[in-house]
Amino acid sequence: MTEEIPDGESIDRLGEEASRYIAEASDLETLEKARIVWLGRKGRLTSALRSIGKLPTEQRPVIGGLINEWKEKLGVLFDSRCAELSGSCGDEEPYPGDPTLPGRRSWEGGLHILHRVIRDIKEIFYRMGYSIAEGPDVELDYYNFEALNFPADHPSRDLQDTFYVNRDILLRTQTSPVQVRFMEKNEPPLRIISPGRVYRNETPDPSHAAEFFQIEGLYVDKNVSLADLRNDITWFIHQFFGPDARVRFRPHFFPFTEPSAEADMTCFGCKGEGCSICQKTGWIEIMGAGMVHPNVFKYAGYDPDSVTGFAFGMGIERIAMLKYGVDDIRRFLGNDLRFLGQFWNETWVGVQE
Amino acid sequence: MKISLNWLKRYVDIDEDPATLADDLTMFGLNVESVEIIGGEYSGVVFGRVLECGRHPNADKLSVCKVDAGTGTPLNIVCGASNVREGLSVAVAVRGAVLKGGFKIKKTKLRGEVSEGMICSETELGIGDDASGIIELDMDLEPGTNLDGRLGSSDVLLDIEVTPNRPDQLSHFGIAREIAALYMRELREPELFTLEPGYKFPIETEDESDCPRYSAAFVSDIKIGPSPQWMRDLLISAGVKPIYNIVDVTNFVLLEMGQPLHAFDRDMLGRDGILVRRGRSGESMYTLDGIEREVGEDTLLITDGETPVGVAGVMGGRDSEITDSTERVLIESAWFDPRAVRTSSRALKLDTEASYRFERECDPGITVKALMRACRLIADIGAGKPEKLHADNIADRKLLDPRTITLRTKQANRLMGTKLAADDLVELLSRLQLISVEEGKDINVTVPTFRRDITEEVDLIEEVARLYGYENIGRDEERRCSLFSEVSIVDMRNEELCDRLAARGFAEVITTSFMDPGDPGRFQWGESDPRGRPVEISNPLTVAQSAMRSSLLPGMLRVIQRNAPVESEGIRIFELGKVFLQREKGNGLPLEELHLTAMFTRKSAPLQCLGGQRDFDFFDMTGEAESVLEWFGAPADLVMERRRADEPDFLFEWILKNSSVGTCGMIPGRVAARFDIDAPVYYFDLLMDAFPPGGSGRKSYSRISQYPAVKRDLSVLAPERITFSEVRNVVKKRAKHLESVRLFDYYRGDRLGEGKRSYAFRMTFRSLEGTLDDETVDMAIENVLTSLQKELQVVLRSE
Repeated sequence: MTEEIPDGESIDRLGEEASRYIAEASDLETLEKARIVWLGRKGRLTSALRSIGKLPTEQRPVIGGLINEWKEKLGVLFDSRCAELSGSCGDEEPYPGDPTLPGRRSWEGGLHILHRVIRDIKEIFYRMGYSIAEGPDVELDYYNFEALNFPADHPSRDLQDTFYVNRDILLRTQTSPVQVRFMEKNEPPLRIISPGRVYRNETPDPSHAAEFFQIEGLYVDKNVSLADLRNDITWFIHQFFGPDARVRFRPHFFPFTEPSAEADMTCFGCKGEGCSICQKTGWIEIMGAGMVHPNVFKYAGYDPDSVTGFAFGMGIERIAMLKYGVDDIRRFLGNDLRFLGQFWNETWVGVQE
Repeated sequence: MKISLNWLKRYVDIDEDPATLADDLTMFGLNVESVEIIGGEYSGVVFGRVLECGRHPNADKLSVCKVDAGTGTPLNIVCGASNVREGLSVAVAVRGAVLKGGFKIKKTKLRGEVSEGMICSETELGIGDDASGIIELDMDLEPGTNLDGRLGSSDVLLDIEVTPNRPDQLSHFGIAREIAALYMRELREPELFTLEPGYKFPIETEDESDCPRYSAAFVSDIKIGPSPQWMRDLLISAGVKPIYNIVDVTNFVLLEMGQPLHAFDRDMLGRDGILVRRGRSGESMYTLDGIEREVGEDTLLITDGETPVGVAGVMGGRDSEITDSTERVLIESAWFDPRAVRTSSRALKLDTEASYRFERECDPGITVKALMRACRLIADIGAGKPEKLHADNIADRKLLDPRTITLRTKQANRLMGTKLAADDLVELLSRLQLISVEEGKDINVTVPTFRRDITEEVDLIEEVARLYGYENIGRDEERRCSLFSEVSIVDMRNEELCDRLAARGFAEVITTSFMDPGDPGRFQWGESDPRGRPVEISNPLTVAQSAMRSSLLPGMLRVIQRNAPVESEGIRIFELGKVFLQREKGNGLPLEELHLTAMFTRKSAPLQCLGGQRDFDFFDMTGEAESVLEWFGAPADLVMERRRADEPDFLFEWILKNSSVGTCGMIPGRVAARFDIDAPVYYFDLLMDAFPPGGSGRKSYSRISQYPAVKRDLSVLAPERITFSEVRNVVKKRAKHLESVRLFDYYRGDRLGEGKRSYAFRMTFRSLEGTLDDETVDMAIENVLTSLQKELQVVLRSE
């Protein structure tokens, strides 16, 4: 192409010619050729812009402006024609021929199912006005038993097989020691939950583990009653398991509560009809609860005549097993990634039986 | 405890079917763990009457009968028994019935004749061994009446979970008493023998508190033999093997009234009298099970003054055992101190039905009554001739005084959330034989000796609550919440941290709190390392679980080890958990530290077609750690240091104010090999308490500049000993208007000459006040270069 010195007229001519070509292009290939001819890096308008230096200084901005105007205008024309012909043009395909190739991925991760369950439980209790409290796993006999009204050398201690570090120090068998620890340091009213690990010296089997998680609850105020306990627990169970879950309370014994209760809910396996999971009773025990025993208040330095309170405790694994149908409690601390991964997303594909 | 329904019915009427009874008891606080039907293993068997009986046309030994089984038209049944005849009352298994072994009855044809059911023998119902013929019933019922539970020695066993506070429920009569209270029915007391006192037998106790009451009866003319069938049946139902009459009677009374008895051969007791005393060191005796046991200071003994003849409340002695030649027996019925029995039982590692009850406190008021009951039974079954009450030594009279407890109506309602009147409470309590007298708004309750668990007001409130019914409490759905919850910043931080790591592709794991005490050795943590001296469990389940973890590393390595065969491509895991470290000071409890540990091995990404797959390396690990540390807002003076410069392990430590707040690096290959892992494993481990609890929560907002940035790249040459973090610190300190500095090239090699490294980094400058001009930026860079040279001997690299 000859390097002619552009003037306004020749620029307009170029522009009009290009407009025609663009309008008449019948396919994308022709259109792309037109783009290269006029707008490409060595295209005619681009060359014209480059030769602008040969013009007298005062003309340069005028002609330069005109060329840019045309470039812009043609660009728009080109884009719209391109869209007419195909809907996309100009760029290379953004994929190497097959858009269904798997996308680039990094490793997937997720929370442990027990963590998810603990979090779900905590969230419900937070909304009910409970705060969180913590206590040590390795605990004094005093807090785990004595201050919870388990006398030394009493058969009630046989209820829980205990791991000992020495005569006075043990692995807590329940999260209940947090009750006394918290009451010692705080004045009523109080409303707390405390999740954590507990330990029992039991040979593991599908429904028993030597270490597992519990969540403890405690509510102390001037006139807390058994009715309040029932209402709170029932509400929790409906929130966690859904409104169809039925709950029943039956009398039981715990040294640190009186009256004491165990709460059952309708079996997830048979919806209360009776099956092998619930040993044909239609009910599954899910927590122990009761009114804080006056002796526990005394140990904590509260006056049992001026305050009342309730406490409850439930096993997290048990709840997780009920909710997700897990058949063996040992799965949880087994940390098989094929087990853990099932709870990360809905479409986990693993070994299916 | 196994409770026989047939046995219960001796004391209280029970019309409810077993399932209903079990449910009602459970809701009354006697948790029925299982209901087992024994004997009759059948269902759907009904009472029937043979209307006609004729020969089978095609078989000599078969009969064809018309049987009225209440179904309207009589059933046609083919029967093979020789005793079948017209007018006989029989047990008929109709269509749909299930017999022993799960055998189902269907309509069938036998040698051409239709048979619509089966007339049963004992074996077919599982109630006996007689297969010779059909059962001839001697009852008169409406044809069609269901016979479930009515035939033979069939029984229903309730397995009741008796809580340790309720020893009064450890007997059939005790359970019957509860049922009578539950259904408000009459309770029938067992029949007693009237024993005249004739105290000939001196009872001495070395320490009266060990044995507050000791009663004994004397029975002569003993005729050893088997017990009658009804007693054998009941004992078998309750899980006790019948032996012979005298022993069976003592066992029967134990299971009936909850009072353990022991029968001594009177003539084998050396002297007239009993001395209850502690064992002496070196002393030993043979117990009934034939084992010679050492009986020391912690064992309470029954002696004949000299020789031990039994372990008090636990087990009798072999040498005074009843034998075929026994002529006279002394029956002991005592109340031993629960702690003394528990100590003996533990010392001898011997749990018996007797010790179980004594430990939980029997009824001290029942010792003589139990003897009178045993004597009645002995007399009735002809096993001997009861003589006199030989002894009733009461060392502690107070034990027999009924307690009186005041129950405040207001307190009861306050605790239960009910609105009951004092009258209601009195009525409820009376069902449990708790005699109540109203005194104003309060009630004075007299507690009988069999309820030793009731010692204070709240015990009575529990009784009221369970009689009133837990299901009747709190039904109004009235929810109260007087408190708003407090936010836990630490808890929120931890939750958010876990979410971040999960989103970054980490699998959260929760590993055991226990640790193999060999793990510190596998990691070569020495004595000076607090992780090298873990807290140990004195009674562990297994050796591998006999210490508390002092680090999350061993447990997480085991997760990799276990998952590696399946997840061979790559594993990245983290755990947020407690470790336990010995602490010299304080109350003896270990230090519990919350740690965040992450571990990586093998590939940095899953296998895929686009983009490569490479091995995880050190900087993948530090990149993740930096991300966490920055999120924490880790202070600027956090320094990473080689942990042991003299060792080939690539372990680094983060130091903050002279203390270690975390470590990172590669698990040494020899350590990984001890966990059967052959790929490099990288990890970082942070002590959570060392970082601000607020997590990513920023303290305040920083203004954002609206002016453009100026970017300059610098390439510098540094001596080998200078790290990039030192270079970066100088740059950050000296460059005015610096927004960020990012390293994009690092080189160490021959081209630079020995002991040199080059760093190329991009600095971004920006001001809040205006667009930076070249001179300002030039000056900043000049400043940086001067300082780098002066402070670190780092110079601009010239190509």
